Amino acid sequence: MDKIARIDMGAAGGPKVTVGDLGEYAGLGGRAMTSLVVAAEVHPLAHPLGAENKLVISPGMLSGTTGSMTGRLSVGCKSPLTGTIKESNAGGQAAQVLARLGYAAVILEGKPVGDDLYKIIINKDGIQVIVDNSLKLMDNYPLVEKLRGEYGDKVAYMTIGSAGERKLLAASIACTDPELRPTRHCGRGGVGAVMGAKRVKAIIIDDAGMKMRPPKDPEKYRDANRKFVEGLRKHPVTGEGLPAYGTNVLTNVLNEAGGYPTYNFKDGQFPGSAKLSGEAQAQLEIDRGGTATHGCHRGCVIQCSGIYNDKDGHYLTKQPEYETVWSHGGHCGIDDLDTVAMLDFLDDNIGVDTIEMGVTIGVAMDAGVIEFGDKAGAIRLVEEVQQGTPLGRILGSGAAITGKVFGVERVPVVKDQALPAYDPRAVQGIGVTYATTTQGADHTAGYAIATNILKVGGDVDPLKTEGQIELSRNLQIATAAIDSTGMCLFIAFAIMDQPETFQALLDMLGSFHGITMTGDDVVALGKKVLSAERDFNTRAGFTKHHDRLPRFFYNEPVAPHNQTFMMKDEELDEVFNW
Amino acid sequence: MKHTIPEQSAVVPELETRGMHLATGQLKTFFPILQKGVMVPATVGCTLKSLLCDQLAIPTDYVTDRITTIFVNNRPVDDLEGTIIQDGSRVTLSAAMPGLVGATMRRGGYYAALRQGISHIVERGAATSQRGTIRLKLFNLLLAEIGPLILAHGLILEQDELIELLELSPVRAARPAAGSGRVLLTVICNE
Repeated sequence: MDKIARIDMGAAGGPKVTVGDLGEYAGLGGRAMTSLVVAAEVHPLAHPLGAENKLVISPGMLSGTTGSMTGRLSVGCKSPLTGTIKESNAGGQAAQVLARLGYAAVILEGKPVGDDLYKIIINKDGIQVIVDNSLKLMDNYPLVEKLRGEYGDKVAYMTIGSAGERKLLAASIACTDPELRPTRHCGRGGVGAVMGAKRVKAIIIDDAGMKMRPPKDPEKYRDANRKFVEGLRKHPVTGEGLPAYGTNVLTNVLNEAGGYPTYNFKDGQFPGSAKLSGEAQAQLEIDRGGTATHGCHRGCVIQCSGIYNDKDGHYLTKQPEYETVWSHGGHCGIDDLDTVAMLDFLDDNIGVDTIEMGVTIGVAMDAGVIEFGDKAGAIRLVEEVQQGTPLGRILGSGAAITGKVFGVERVPVVKDQALPAYDPRAVQGIGVTYATTTQGADHTAGYAIATNILKVGGDVDPLKTEGQIELSRNLQIATAAIDSTGMCLFIAFAIMDQPETFQALLDMLGSFHGITMTGDDVVALGKKVLSAERDFNTRAGFTKHHDRLPRFFYNEPVAPHNQTFMMKDEELDEVFNW
Repeated sequence: MKHTIPEQSAVVPELETRGMHLATGQLKTFFPILQKGVMVPATVGCTLKSLLCDQLAIPTDYVTDRITTIFVNNRPVDDLEGTIIQDGSRVTLSAAMPGLVGATMRRGGYYAALRQGISHIVERGAATSQRGTIRLKLFNLLLAEIGPLILAHGLILEQDELIELLELSPVRAARPAAGSGRVLLTVICNE
């Protein structure tokens, strides 16, 4: 990965491609690349849908290699949903293929005049930008099917559905999985709307004729990868729990803990949770001839996904994730997996973030647009988004906008981004991350549970109150670093518990790039990324007063623990003091 | 056959007992009710560790290494020896969970601070041992692994629950007549 492609979509005479060396961005990948480019090159007060914004697409530092779990792709920009800097990442094949073509980043700049829609073809011969108005308002599944007819099955596709083209704030960018289904989404923050604003409908990435990226020390890299895979396979979470049940295994546990937000955050437990559980979902998938164990990209050994078939045994969607099952399930008072799966398919097809869409429907239910538990009504609302009706455009713009339009007081957002599936009144520590992350409410912003072994911030006493602030800070640093490697965040479980697996990861990074890496280097990278993101947000007008949860979390106790969010503002303000 | 749960029981009345044999492959019939929670007879007033190891016959190293997430009355537990089981306690057992919150719920885990406020608080003091019942739930990997131990220990079911269960299952047992009242169901899993 020794080059960056810049595509000026607004250039006089039509889009112009410039390929250059890495310059000051040498050695970066993933979130480090996207955030440092956006922080340095995008005016913080730019309109997110305007020509001044940039959409930065970057594979991770180890993507395109023979290394396992290296297939995450980062997309960054100024978010139209939050107004902050944004990094959103996904699995699928795109990162591996783009990296093998040698691109550390592809940056979409400017904005075309006129109504033409473009597709971008990236292959070993270079980059072409072609007008293709036949793709207008196509949704992701039929869109990819049409493109496959032209470009075949040995490529990766990144696409936006009708939501992205309409520049809806919940719009995502889909990346195809190994079966070329558009199921892996850079979902959060409206990155699909930015791609839509650039009038780019599809990016076709073809690595024919290219080889795996070669490590500097092949033998050491191969050995480190072998140990890394062994570590993942022997750990009970990455080797057993996730492959058997996927992330939805969390439904039962969160419900039991009273941290499962239900009926738009009015309750912490859902009576129908057992019907939505990962255990029930996996059994249903197997009974219907699907599978509960499936990888989202080649080279994945965890295989936390699956295939969800309908009652007749036909493919409906990929295995819905925990957050999706929650947002469309318990949050909306819906206890039916088939309804959730249909909503997951619609979200992927239209191209919207499943968390934002599900939370928005729950807010609309709270407003009385439909009743909680109305399965057909929930599907109808997402179809409104697909059709681009006035109501659909409101809903597709997310929970904050929908709450304002319908006068709802209980709107679970931070920096206008919907909260994920963990109630911060029950799990106070995750509320610290929701409130303070640079990204708007995001559970994955502080997800890399490897801070103990990284020794980020030194040892923390988990029994002290201030531990929550320190832990959130350390988690956010570690996550920013892992998001830059292109590794799936789920590797963190094995890293946390098995020092030899963490060492294997360091050895993979080191032997690939011909350097010696330590935990301190990883921490330094994480801090560098977060500092750049915080600085951008400050220049964009964000202050400590935006690092807060909505007031209802402080005022409304939630059952069964009858707790409110109790972290003090002054404590939240300490998160980024390092 | 009638089975009486020991004399000092003020909580569990005399119950009709039913036995059942199950092939291991049929075990999943019971997963939904084990996941939702079943009433189990127990000597309460004991520690959580004693309940799991001594009464339910779960090997100690399995409890220590495999059952990494435990809730009592919806509160995550850190201390097996300091948690006292009372009559009517709701006990939930899970293997290691993914995600930050999964790690947060882990027993004695590094991230336990993140759930301050809902953690189970150890109460010191003498507990009185007596017969009673608990509500037990099993999640995820534990369903197949220790489900047979729980079934062998016995479940207390409403007659209607038992009938519903038997109608869904291929197990060898006579269907009881519909009626009210509870039964103690003991299930032996055969290889």
